Amino acid sequence: MYNFLLALGQTLIRFTKITGEIVLLLWTVLREFLLPPYEIKNTFKQAMEIGIKSVPVALVTAVFTGMVLALQTVTGFKRFGAESLVGSVVALSMTREMGPVLTGLVVAGRAGAAMAAELGTMRVTEQIDALETLAVKPVKYLVTPRFTSAIFMMPALTILSDFVGILGGYAVAVWLFGMSSVLYWRRAWDNLELSDIYNGLIKAAFFGGAVAIVSCYKGFYTEGGAEGVGKATTGAVVISFMTILISDYFLTAWLFK
Amino acid sequence: MIEITGLTKSFGPNQVLRGVNLTVQTGDSMVVIGGSGSGKSVLIKHIIGLLRPDAGMVLIDGTDISTLKDKELYEIRRKFGMLFQGAALFDSMSVWENVGFALLRSGMREREAKVVAMEKLRLVGLKDVEDKMPSELSGGMRKRVGLARAIAHNPEILLYDEPTTGLDPILADSINELIIRMREKMKVTSVAITHDMHSAYRIADRIAMLFEGRIVLEGTPDEIKNTSNDLVKQFITGSAQGPIKVEGISF
Repeated sequence: MYNFLLALGQTLIRFTKITGEIVLLLWTVLREFLLPPYEIKNTFKQAMEIGIKSVPVALVTAVFTGMVLALQTVTGFKRFGAESLVGSVVALSMTREMGPVLTGLVVAGRAGAAMAAELGTMRVTEQIDALETLAVKPVKYLVTPRFTSAIFMMPALTILSDFVGILGGYAVAVWLFGMSSVLYWRRAWDNLELSDIYNGLIKAAFFGGAVAIVSCYKGFYTEGGAEGVGKATTGAVVISFMTILISDYFLTAWLFK
Repeated sequence: MIEITGLTKSFGPNQVLRGVNLTVQTGDSMVVIGGSGSGKSVLIKHIIGLLRPDAGMVLIDGTDISTLKDKELYEIRRKFGMLFQGAALFDSMSVWENVGFALLRSGMREREAKVVAMEKLRLVGLKDVEDKMPSELSGGMRKRVGLARAIAHNPEILLYDEPTTGLDPILADSINELIIRMREKMKVTSVAITHDMHSAYRIADRIAMLFEGRIVLEGTPDEIKNTSNDLVKQFITGSAQGPIKVEGISF
C-alpha cells in the first residue's frame, strides 16, 4: 500500500512538473512569436516539412478511412434499411471526427517524431548550446517556427483529408455497391453544415499546436546521448497521441453542442 | 577581463563547483586542467552564461553576467566565441552557412557573409570546403570549422572546450598551433579546458587546476611543472597512484 501511494505520488509530481514546463515553453514560444525579428524563412521551411511532406500519408489515410466508413455503413445500416444514409455518415464522420483526429495522428507520427529527434540530437551534440553562444535564442529559432507552422498546416491537411475521405466513401458506395451518385452527394451535402467543417478545423489547429509543443518539449530537454534521443522521440509520439485522443473528447463536447 | 568569485553550482545532490575563484587578464590565455568529472565543462559554461550559478559571481569586463536579464545576456554573448568539444556544427547547414550563421542572423547579406566565412575558413587553414556539409568532414576539419564559426563575429573572448580531445597527436598539435595563432592575430582573451597536458603547456600563459569543485593551484606552465603540490603532480604526470583516487576501480 505504501509503495503504491509512493508511486502514485511520484507520478503525480512528475506529471505536474512536465505540464508546468510545457506551459512555460508555450508561453516563451508565444512571446517570441510576437517579438521581432520574425522567423519567416524558417517557418516556411517547417511548413514544408510538417505540411507538404505529410500530404501523401495523410491522403492515403483519409481515402481508406472514407472507404471503410462507407463499407461499414452500407453493410451495417442495411440491417435496418438505412444504407442510403452512407453519404451523410461519411461526410459527418470525416469532417467532425476522422479528418482532424487521423491527420493529427499522422502528423504526430511523422512530424512530431522528427521534431523530437532533430531537437534531441541538437541538444545532445551541443548544437542548442552553440546557438546560444552565437547569441541566437534557441526557442525562437527552433520551436516557434515549428509551432506556428503546425497550427497552420494541420487545418490545411485536414480539409484535404475531409475531401479525399468523402471521395473514398463515394468510390465504395457508388462504384462497389452501385448506389446512385446523386443520392450520395445529396446525402453528403444536405446534412453537412459549415460548422461541422470549421469546428473540425479548430480541432485540427489545436492538435497541430499540441503535437508541436509536446514534441519540441521532449526534444529540447533531451538528456543522455543516443538513447535519450530515442526515448524523447518515443515519448513525443506517445504523449502526442494521448493528448490528441483525450483532448478530442473534450473539444468535441465543447465545440459540437 | 574575466573574474570569477565564489562560484558554486549543484545538480540535484551533486555539488559540482564549490567556490571557484579565478581571474583571467585581458589578452591572457588561461588553461583549466582537471580530471573527467571535475566540473571543467560546468565552469566554462558559466563563463558564457549557459548555466547560472547557485552562488558567486562571474564578471565579464566588470559586468556580473549571472544576474543579467536574457536580453542583456544575449548582448554580452557577442563578445564571446566558443569552440565545442564535438564542434557542435549545425548539421542541416553547409560549412559556410555554419561559419556565417551569426552574421546572417544579424542581417548581413548572403554574399557578404559568404565572403567573411571564406576568409575565416582560410584563417583556420581550410579551403574548398565551404559548400560541403558537416557530415562530409573529418573530426579535425569539423573542429576547424567550429573555430571559424566561433571567430566569425570577431569576439574578444574565445572559449575552448577540450579542443584536442579525440584527435590524433599530430592533428591535436595543429589545433594547438591554431589556438596560439588566434591569440596572436586576433588579440583575444582565451580560456581552454583540457586534460591534455601537452596541449596545456603549449597554449597556456597560465594554468589552473580544478579539483573537487575548487581551484587547487594556479600559475605559469613552469610553476605548474615544478610544483610540490601532490595533487597537481599526480595529474600532470598522469599517475593512477597518489592523493587523487580513481573512483569505482579497485585491484
